[in-house]
Amino acid sequence: MLDADIEACEEGMKMATGSESEAEKGESKWEVEVPEKKLKDKLYFENLKAVVIDTELCSRCLTCVSICPSGLIVTEEDRVGFPDYEERCLDCGACVRVCPRFIYEPPGGLGDYIEIVAARSKRFTGQDGAMATEIIASAIDMGMIDQGLFVDRSEKWQTSIFHVRDPKQFGIGTLGGTKYVFAGILPALKEAVRFTKKGVGVVGTPCMISGIRKLQEEFPVFREKVKLVVGLFCTENFHYEDLMKFLREEKEIEIEKILKTDISKGSMYITIEGREKKRKVKMAEFEERGLVAKGCDFCTDFTAVQSDASVGSVGSEKGFSTVIVRNENAKEVMEYIREKGNADFSEEIVMDEIDYLINFKKKREAHIKELALPE
Amino acid sequence: MKKVATPDYTVADKLKTHVAALSTAAKEVVLPLNITTHYPRERKRQPECFRGFMLFDPERCISCFQCSFVCPANAIWMKEAPSGRYYPTVDHGKCIYCHFCVDTCPGGALKTTKIHDIAFRTMDEMVAMTEDMVEPPAIIREDKVVVDYVIDKEDLTLKRTKEVDELIVEIEPSEGVPMVSVCVDRGSCIACKVCTKVCESGAVSSLKDEEKLIVKMEIDSEKCTGCGLCVKECSMQILRLVRRE
Ligand SMILES: Cc1cc2nc3c(=O)[nH]c(=O)nc-3n(C[C@H](O)[C@H](O)[C@H](O)COP(=O)(O)OP(=O)(O)OC[C@H]3O[C@@H](n4cnc5c(N)ncnc54)[C@H](O)[C@@H]3O)c2cc1C
Ligand code: SF4
Ligand code: SF4
Ligand code: SF4
Repeated sequence: MLDADIEACEEGMKMATGSESEAEKGESKWEVEVPEKKLKDKLYFENLKAVVIDTELCSRCLTCVSICPSGLIVTEEDRVGFPDYEERCLDCGACVRVCPRFIYEPPGGLGDYIEIVAARSKRFTGQDGAMATEIIASAIDMGMIDQGLFVDRSEKWQTSIFHVRDPKQFGIGTLGGTKYVFAGILPALKEAVRFTKKGVGVVGTPCMISGIRKLQEEFPVFREKVKLVVGLFCTENFHYEDLMKFLREEKEIEIEKILKTDISKGSMYITIEGREKKRKVKMAEFEERGLVAKGCDFCTDFTAVQSDASVGSVGSEKGFSTVIVRNENAKEVMEYIREKGNADFSEEIVMDEIDYLINFKKKREAHIKELALPE
Repeated sequence: MKKVATPDYTVADKLKTHVAALSTAAKEVVLPLNITTHYPRERKRQPECFRGFMLFDPERCISCFQCSFVCPANAIWMKEAPSGRYYPTVDHGKCIYCHFCVDTCPGGALKTTKIHDIAFRTMDEMVAMTEDMVEPPAIIREDKVVVDYVIDKEDLTLKRTKEVDELIVEIEPSEGVPMVSVCVDRGSCIACKVCTKVCESGAVSSLKDEEKLIVKMEIDSEKCTGCGLCVKECSMQILRLVRRE
């Protein structure tokens, strides 16, 4: 017998006889390190509020919402808040431990990678090449994860989170495709982590990926249970209420009839039911009206450098997704996709396009420097 | 295909069955026997494990909510008593008498009775408040005879005795479940102290060292009653009930 086999046998024996490891037995005394407060005599939430929320540095990643034991951090009109924190905050510090912007080390650049490919799923349709969907679906097929968290939307384009357990579920409804408004993936992740057996896969914007990594850095449960993290390329996101009001009132677009929105080359293209031509709205128009989320102004990460794999539209031809495979974990899934022939591949990547947006976001470092953070 | 064939009876067999039938008929004429119980004048003797109306002993309740969590019919609602403690109330309109609550109660505060025949006039009345469960409900008993099932050779007969069955079941007081709460993932604790706050017996404590920025968490296994409330409420779901050593 091979050593590995013997090990596996012993492992099996342990399980069968129910002999538990130290950790499983548990302990009745333990210590928890709590974070330092920047503002000494204030509650932790007041610290978060002063440093991240009031300064508009907040990216709406909702990592704090996911971890807060009171469950009372909420988003109101797209701003993160805690209505009666004076009374209800337990002052545990979990929020500042996980907020990627409390002690902000802005990520950026292209990041580490094994390969960059252009690919198009043969099974699904999505925003571009539906590779975000394909990666999660294949990871479920190969048994790496038992569920993936996806952003779904209502007729009115309000986002909700869908726990996909079977790749067949991707075929129905509005799961694929980009929704240019914030979504509560992280609070859903906390729930998913509780009930998953094999592990969870997530797709999110770069700020969410930073939040997930923070959770993993701080808490073993997230390290063990979050198995696949797919990041999306992202330049900015929008406030739901403001964006919808603008499209409805100023552009006279019926929200319910919007089939797809797409941002490319400085404009948003809106596909509307029953209309041949896409409506084009210049990004400058959104910026003038302050519809672009303020927190994005301080975000320097275009390619979600902390992800296992990043997926985006720029850099590859129409109908394909650009996939940056960053580690072995993601490589395994990509190899499975190749092996099963689940996608078409193309080596043609236009790095200039990606570099352009990386540099475009790098300029935002200046905004961070200008920030007057409380001492 | 199988065919159902009539068995081959001999003349002797046939004669025997006829005689048996005639003698049963003759017996019924002289001494009629009935298999039904004349409730309410007679009552069937129920086994000690009968699942009837529940009684409740507040002295033994540790307000752990286990009964309300386990109830599959959602019939248990924990109501705040003047003392600030939470005690169960049972909605008999919903209760399916599975007695999971009785089985799960770590302190043995819920007990079974053999009472199964209470009439309620309104829906509201069906909700047995905590105070309604301390004493057995007032029921008017007309039964003077107890009926027992007797399996006599191959036949099931009923035996009637002139006694009155005790409807309250006396059970040995439970020694409590030998469980204790422990932390299985210290790294994931956020020191929110929810466990400290929910623990009814003051077994979970936390001490913050402001200088070193450390919170010392401790579950006193002597004080812990194994009620599992902290396990249920822990924000990070890192506490478990384990059997005491
Ligand atoms: C806010 C935002 C801004 C983006 N900006 C750019 C950009 O500037 N340049 C670029 O090249 N690409 C950008 N993308 C990525 C691009 O739109 C596609 O999502 C990406 O190319 C993947 O396409 P796909 O066909 O492989 O995905 P699909 O298979 O269609 O899957 C789409 C995935 O996106 C997720 N998703 C949808 N909406 C949201 C949301 N609001 N928050 C988090 N996840 C969401 C879904 O859950 C799903 O997993 C952006 C995405 C978002 C969400
Ligand atoms: S309870 Fe803890 S996580 Fe929630 S706001 Fe207060 S300090 Fe932050
Ligand atoms: S950046 Fe994320 S974690 Fe920090 S305050 Fe905003 S939503 Fe919460
Ligand atoms: S409730 Fe859970 S996370 Fe909170 S302090 Fe207690 S053990 Fe830690």
